Amino acid sequence: MSYQARERLRTVLRDLAAAAAFGSMVVSGSVPLWAVAIFAMSLALALFGKRILEGRGKLAGVGLGLLALAAFGVVLLGRLDLVVAACAFASAVTSYRMLSAMGPAADRQVLLTGVLMLSGGAALSGDLLFAPFLAAFALLAIPALAVGTLDSPMDLPVGPVLRHAAAGAALALLAGAAVFIAFPRLSWSLGARRTSPGLGGATAGFSERVRLGGQGSIKTSPRVVARVHISPEPEADRLDAYWFGRAFDTFTGREWRGAGRQLAPAPSIKLGPSGTEMLRQEIELLPAYSARTLIGLDPVVSFGQAAAHTQGGTGRTQLVEVEGEEVRFAEDALAYTYYAYSLAFPLPRKERISRDRFLSLPEPLDPRVGALARRIAGGERDPLAAARKLAEHLRSEYRYTLELPGEVEDPLADFLFERKEGHCEHFATALAVMLRTLGYPSRVAGGFFGGERVRGSFVLRAGDAHAWTQVFVEGRGFVTVDATPDANRAGQPAPLLEWLSLRYEELESHWRGWVLDYTLRDQIDLAYALVRPPREPSVGATLPPLRAWLAAALAGACAYSVWRALTRRAGRPRRHRASTLLDGIERILAAEGIERRAGETTEELSVRLASGRHPWAPEVSRATRRYLEARFGRRPLGPGEREALLEGLRRSAPGRRRV
Amino acid sequence: MNPRALWPRVRAFLRPPRTLKITRAGRTFLVVTIGVGLGALNTGNNLLYLVLGVLLGTIIASGVLSESALRGLRLRRLGTESAHAGEPFAYRYALSKASGASFALTLSEHGAEVSGEGSLAYLAPGAEAVVRADLTAPRRGPKRLRGVKVTTTFPLGLFAKSRVIELEDLLLVYPRRGYTCADPPEQASGPVGEGGNPRRRDGTGDLLGLRELSFGEDARRVHWVKSASVGKLLRTEREREERRQYTLEVEGLEVSEALDRRCEEAAAIAHRLLGAGHEVGLRAGGRRLRPASGSGQERRILTALAWLGFGEAAR
Repeated sequence: MSYQARERLRTVLRDLAAAAAFGSMVVSGSVPLWAVAIFAMSLALALFGKRILEGRGKLAGVGLGLLALAAFGVVLLGRLDLVVAACAFASAVTSYRMLSAMGPAADRQVLLTGVLMLSGGAALSGDLLFAPFLAAFALLAIPALAVGTLDSPMDLPVGPVLRHAAAGAALALLAGAAVFIAFPRLSWSLGARRTSPGLGGATAGFSERVRLGGQGSIKTSPRVVARVHISPEPEADRLDAYWFGRAFDTFTGREWRGAGRQLAPAPSIKLGPSGTEMLRQEIELLPAYSARTLIGLDPVVSFGQAAAHTQGGTGRTQLVEVEGEEVRFAEDALAYTYYAYSLAFPLPRKERISRDRFLSLPEPLDPRVGALARRIAGGERDPLAAARKLAEHLRSEYRYTLELPGEVEDPLADFLFERKEGHCEHFATALAVMLRTLGYPSRVAGGFFGGERVRGSFVLRAGDAHAWTQVFVEGRGFVTVDATPDANRAGQPAPLLEWLSLRYEELESHWRGWVLDYTLRDQIDLAYALVRPPREPSVGATLPPLRAWLAAALAGACAYSVWRALTRRAGRPRRHRASTLLDGIERILAAEGIERRAGETTEELSVRLASGRHPWAPEVSRATRRYLEARFGRRPLGPGEREALLEGLRRSAPGRRRV
Repeated sequence: MNPRALWPRVRAFLRPPRTLKITRAGRTFLVVTIGVGLGALNTGNNLLYLVLGVLLGTIIASGVLSESALRGLRLRRLGTESAHAGEPFAYRYALSKASGASFALTLSEHGAEVSGEGSLAYLAPGAEAVVRADLTAPRRGPKRLRGVKVTTTFPLGLFAKSRVIELEDLLLVYPRRGYTCADPPEQASGPVGEGGNPRRRDGTGDLLGLRELSFGEDARRVHWVKSASVGKLLRTEREREERRQYTLEVEGLEVSEALDRRCEEAAAIAHRLLGAGHEVGLRAGGRRLRPASGSGQERRILTALAWLGFGEAAR
């Protein structure tokens, strides 16, 4: 590959590595749009080889200085987070270097600012997508640097370099994982931002009112909006449970509203009497949830220990009860965690309600609604039995659909008598209004229906958002009666999307467990697991434990090292036996202060000694001649001959000559 | 065993098998790595630990790959045509590796009074590559070459890892090339060396005849027209109009700056006189070179001057 082609390859790899580093920040959803636009434009120009800032260093310097001042000012004004501003500035510096003159210095600066951007991405979010961006950076940056070390104008093959660099990058990632596992955690994870707005924005949530006639596209969204850990843990993989969020008591004919009174904020809210069998839920509302209403398994008894996660960190937050409607967080945040306690089984409950509030009907109400209700209920006196009859009728005679024509004059009459199809809000509204026409207090509840197991937790999707009816029963309170057909209550995402989102959620669960929440305790547990047998052998396990695998790998590595050392030793050329004679001669002569001069052969040395009438000359000459014959004359040394020659030489030493 | 002979072995034993030098970019990289590490320790952010792990892993990978680039190298010295003090000369090495490729190699002399280096971007497995190094010796004289330092910055350019391949040799550095202002006084005329030919056929006067060009003779004497017609190189023999013999004498035996300067001056004068076609001899350090002409004589004079003061022991 020519020098120019190598330069091009190197810069493309470098720019893509920088893009990966920038991507690690973008997944947090915190990077300002102007920074994203600048970087995207710079990347496109750089990939097309348009280095528009080449030779304009001063101009770029002034621009970066102004940008730094502006960012600092915005931070001082409190309109931008300091970390976000620093990340945006790092991306601007990277953009400048990508568009300036090519060269090793520019490469290194781009990649070093890339490392800074990765650090910024680590500080901004704990998103799973950070990992592939980090890996992509390593896999692109190391080959870019490796190609850069081939500083030669000659044509060179790049394939071997890229192969070595790719192996190096893989090794770096493996070693990085080992360092991550072994590096002692000496501090608690206080500075990590577990929550960021993320990409995609909000997809679910609650509003102050429910307006009939809207599209139901959210029902197909597979996006996870909440994670719940339930204790004691249910055995089912799909809960198909109602997660109560808020209730609506006033129907205007087009929409449902609440008229509850807001109470004082409190750290915990108790909504009803506790029972002996409670379900404890540790709930995490994700940024996609985008509402302040708390949810819990119906019927909820209490909420508490709420924490709000913002970009600035995590802190405790108060709860506010809106009487008879909902419990909401006192402050806005990206995400929340809290505990909810629910009854495992409904208990008798004495509850006083304002009947007028739950019997009010919109004016005017189509008279056909009441007539239909009376016809179906057939004089049923029990509100729950009447509700069930009405719900059964709606489920059997009406069709569920997410495709609606939009705004109509009377959405309820349109649903009941014209189209005879609608989504959960239509079914819930129809049942609640028909119950009210019969004189039974009722309301519409909003929340989620579903819950899928992902490892040890359950997840709720945006598509699980649901509305249902609650009828008031004396001695039991509000009892849920759902008129929506069974198959249409939970989310209805495309099967592939549902499968993909579940796998992603599993990965994210592993990511949180193994990476984000990895602590010194986990390190200690891991060390114990490696050296101690498990206390309770796992049932049905057929594979050996991890420590056995590691021990086997270590033993294998040792055996391989020994084998390599032995084969290398065996493959080494053996010294000629005559050479050992020469070594011996030189050693004896050196001990007596006689050394060969530079470039002087042994033969020349013996001649020199003979010409100087040195007393050793005859023995040295004899030994040298025998060495030459043995080494080059195909007359190998006989057994003991080497020792005899050396002994003769030693005996000829003046001080040791024997008489 | 002679303690003086033992010391180099001890020193070789104690010398680390590889040496590592951090480049400028490497220093910045280390500073950033330490910064990320401090940030991770300070905040406890596991993703920063992950970034730190990858950065440290990159250093480990760099060490492994650079080791693979340096391991298994075989080196031969090809030497140089001539080396003059104070100016770069081309010194060639033959480098090969049985298996696996090597990248970004730099070769320099280790432990010798010679500076400079040669580089090789890519060494294919099984092939022998000739590396030309531009070396410079500051002073004349015999230089004992002990080993060759092979350095690589592969794969990241952040660290320069080196190993020394023990390979002894002797490099004779001629005196520095200079110039002289005036010719020395003429010594004598007589039948010595090539100029001893009584016919004096190597002058610039009248044409005496043509004969075949011998090895080592000046190609400027070739009669190109006649050579072309005969099909072999014929040189002209012209009567020598002037012939001068010089014997340069360099005093002193102790190696010093002054002796170096005298040697440089003698070498410069010899070069100029021989270039002018004169016969030049040398008397220095108890040795005598009879006056003769030609490039061979210049090399003999330079060799004698390079050895001057270093004695027999150095040979």
